[in-house]
Amino acid sequence: MKKGNSIKYIFMAGIVLLFACKKVITLDLSTAPTTIVIEGNVTNEQDPYQVTINKTVGFYQSNTFPTVSGAIVKITDSTTGITDSLTEGKAGIYTTSKLAGVIGHTYLLDVIAEGKEYKASSTMPKQVTLDSISFLTTAAFGKFNTNAVVNFQDPPGVSNYYNFIESFRNIPPKQIHVLDDRISDGRYISRQLFNDSTINHRDTVDVEMQCIDKNVFKYLEELSGQDATNGQPTSPADPTSNITNGALGYFSAHTTQRKSAVFK
Amino acid sequence: MKFTKIRYFLLLVLLPAITFSQQSKTKFSISGIVLDKETGESLIGASVGIVGQKGLGTVTNSYGFYSVSAVQGHYQLTISFSSYKTDTIEVELNKNLTMQINLSKTTALLEEVTVTSRRKNDNISRPIMGVQKLSIEEIKNIPVLFGEQDILKTLQLLPGIKSAGEGNGGFYVRGGSADQNLILLDEAVVYNPSHLLGFFSTFNSDAIKDLTVYKGGMPSEYGGRLSSVLDIKMNDGDNHKFRFNGGIGLIASRFTAEGPLNKDKGSFIISARRTYADVFLKLSKDTSINKDILYFYDVNAKANYKLSDKDHLYLSAYTGRDDLGLGSIFGINYGNLTSTLRWNHVFNSRLFSNTSLIYSNYNYVIDITAGTNNISITSRIRDWNLKQDFQYFINANNKLNYGIDVKRHSILPGTITASGTSSFNDVNLQKKLSLESAAYISHEWSATPTVNITYGVRLSNFSALGPGTFYTYNDDGTTKDSSTYSSGKIVKAYTYLEPRFAASYKLREDKSIKFSYIRNVQNLHLLSNSTGTNPTDLWIGSSNNVKPEIADQVSVGYYQNFKNNLYEFSAETYYKDMQNQIDYKNGAQLRANENVENELLFGKGRSYGIELFLKKKYGRFNGWIGYTLSKSERKIDGINNNQWYNATQDRTHELSIVGIYKKNDKWTFSSTFVYYTGNAVTYPSGKYTLNGQVFFYYPERNSYRVPSYSRLDLAATLQGKKTKKFDSNWSFSIYNALNHANAYSINFQVDPNDPTKTQAVKTTLFKFVPSVTYNFKFL
Repeated sequence: MKKGNSIKYIFMAGIVLLFACKKVITLDLSTAPTTIVIEGNVTNEQDPYQVTINKTVGFYQSNTFPTVSGAIVKITDSTTGITDSLTEGKAGIYTTSKLAGVIGHTYLLDVIAEGKEYKASSTMPKQVTLDSISFLTTAAFGKFNTNAVVNFQDPPGVSNYYNFIESFRNIPPKQIHVLDDRISDGRYISRQLFNDSTINHRDTVDVEMQCIDKNVFKYLEELSGQDATNGQPTSPADPTSNITNGALGYFSAHTTQRKSAVFK
Repeated sequence: MKFTKIRYFLLLVLLPAITFSQQSKTKFSISGIVLDKETGESLIGASVGIVGQKGLGTVTNSYGFYSVSAVQGHYQLTISFSSYKTDTIEVELNKNLTMQINLSKTTALLEEVTVTSRRKNDNISRPIMGVQKLSIEEIKNIPVLFGEQDILKTLQLLPGIKSAGEGNGGFYVRGGSADQNLILLDEAVVYNPSHLLGFFSTFNSDAIKDLTVYKGGMPSEYGGRLSSVLDIKMNDGDNHKFRFNGGIGLIASRFTAEGPLNKDKGSFIISARRTYADVFLKLSKDTSINKDILYFYDVNAKANYKLSDKDHLYLSAYTGRDDLGLGSIFGINYGNLTSTLRWNHVFNSRLFSNTSLIYSNYNYVIDITAGTNNISITSRIRDWNLKQDFQYFINANNKLNYGIDVKRHSILPGTITASGTSSFNDVNLQKKLSLESAAYISHEWSATPTVNITYGVRLSNFSALGPGTFYTYNDDGTTKDSSTYSSGKIVKAYTYLEPRFAASYKLREDKSIKFSYIRNVQNLHLLSNSTGTNPTDLWIGSSNNVKPEIADQVSVGYYQNFKNNLYEFSAETYYKDMQNQIDYKNGAQLRANENVENELLFGKGRSYGIELFLKKKYGRFNGWIGYTLSKSERKIDGINNNQWYNATQDRTHELSIVGIYKKNDKWTFSSTFVYYTGNAVTYPSGKYTLNGQVFFYYPERNSYRVPSYSRLDLAATLQGKKTKKFDSNWSFSIYNALNHANAYSINFQVDPNDPTKTQAVKTTLFKFVPSVTYNFKFL
């Protein structure tokens, strides 16, 4: 329940089912000057960790994104003072060699690429345990839809931010599932992971739960808000990145845990 | 301070009365009401003039009241009103007279030949600009979606008034946003004018008598919104005999009953309509469908009673609700409730007074059940409003209108009630109280036979009141400070003087130019996460963080009537400057957020344009062409690198053509054609990848256009055999008859058939929708 807006979309979806028709059209879209895109993660799993740097392309170009090679990439654990200089393996992918992700530590990213410097910082929050994955089937306008539900206890008195990455039937993830405890602090949370595709019987669903920091949450939430499926044309905007100097993307220090379940 | 304000106000109210009382002594006046002969409905805006007298004469006010005066003598009084026979009455004026005038409808509706008397040139000589009226007769002949007559949708066929799109109840006037329209139903504010998430308006046209829209140049009695005033008056009900009428349509049915309360003393009317899509849902055997709920209803009721020759009471009420539900998972119920109690008092033949007590309420309730989650969300805005209005008909050349208007707003931004097993906490956002008051005066003055001027001021005050805790914020979004105020304490007050000025200069009897300047201040703001309007959008008042929106508008126009007023032409240009416009931070959280004011961005706006309008008013064939060329821009700190950008509602061209052809007494055909440039919109100018997914790059706000929109609608009405007791007709219509695939939305996605590509997908809602409605009347 992405509060009110999804309400409209559910009904719009109904009306769209009744009357609407969809068609692929070609729009005259300009191509903005190329912008750098940085994605960096530090987790509480075993290292190494990666930073990926590539660039934007035009809308009607192929989905192959030019990588950025030869950048100087460093991550510093500001708690211990250790700096790791990342080495480039595959083009545009930079890997740590000595850094270990620790809960509560703040990590600083420093990238010098094509003559510009980009900086970011992220703190790895405490881990919240994912109890289980269950399933919920709902009906709307003649269609049954089954979604996975994540169940966990939100710790009271602190702000928590979650990101769930769901996969089943090898369908690449299309939805971003982020959640904060702004109105759920201290509750036992059961949250549906709404998805375009329904889960079928005997599907195995894999869920990765990440505890992320506030800035990364805001970034991902805004990113998910760009998608106006079935809605009015809203005014989408690029999310506010925690990386400086106009880069797209984010740098996230987060905890990770995984669980699977079969829908019987 | 307070004392001087009161003194200032008293001066405003009393001064004109004192100054004019002297010169009016030697004159006598004729006053009364103008009524429909058959039904006894009062006629709003009928012209009453004295033949051979210079000056404008007068038009009847909202209650059908008129007053004209002249020195002792013998006169001819002419009374005229659109689609009514003009009446001429001989008057021997040697004392103040009271005269009720009954006009009868022209039998052959709008027929050229029957209109023999000279038609009035009111649109030329009166200093009112940016004002448009639609008659219910016109509205009933114009084709609409599913055959549901819709005054808001029909209004959008006039120049300068733009539809916010299909499936969107909002409309844009002269570059303003949807919340900048003041929508009044018998003086009560209707906060959400749409049903079914925007597909239909809340106004059942069977219950509506009169509709006036002010796009600019609104008189000083109106205030509180920047862009427009839509003043809708409900029918009073037949005071001669009982009547029943109704209609059966594809999606809704309507029924109206009206009649006298006590012969000629009073009357009542009650109109209701309800959709029945849900009845069909229930018939489905599919358990995923037959538990769904989907309906709305409206009830309009009004009664009036003449207490004496000088006193008349009116009580009107409206309620309408939408109920949408998906089985037991999810439900939303929302609607308006308004009521107005009015007391007309005629102090003397020149001074008319109206006192109104108005209540207005809009709320919604959402219930969600998903697994163990069981929550209910409610929100509400409620107004109590007291208005005192005086109309002082000094003489044929001068009229004063003055009064006060006090509103108390109470807003419950949101309450969440959660069950014990729910994932959510209870949330109770603070109730927000405020007082919005105004004193106004306006003088209508025929300065010379060719120059007419209306000028006035509105002194408005908005006070955000305690109790409550009020926060201030730093630029980085953190809370700076908070202060707690006790009940009734003023947290922040804003006072503005809003000047209103309009003048017309008659070049010839059928030609004039006009000028107007107005300032409007808006203290209630609608926060919406999308460009559309949602039933869950949140109203907030001005506060310590949110400043009032201000608009200054200048307009100039040229007006000409042709061929003995058979045709009416106007060209109006305007420039509007807007301050303290509201937009949102990226990812703004508007719901269940105590700090919602911290999610807002502020800036300015400007809009300008030219509106051309040519109307054929009478004849077998009548209709109009409207064209608007306009621009609307915003400049908000924090958006688009603080540069000017096109407002969403910016549309360069907009054309509408309406034609109504009465072939014979049986058949009437009509058609409308609409074309407009697409809204300004943000589309991607690139894409990138994160975590294996493709995302789109949006470096510029509203730099693209939705593909242009066009639609042709057709309708035909077949009049059934009319008997003394019964009258009926069939109405057939086709919405979007040319099957044009207009874009409802455009989405961007990875091509499902080729993951190496991305594509734009256009969704079209309504193509070629036929409908049929049966209307009946028991006379």
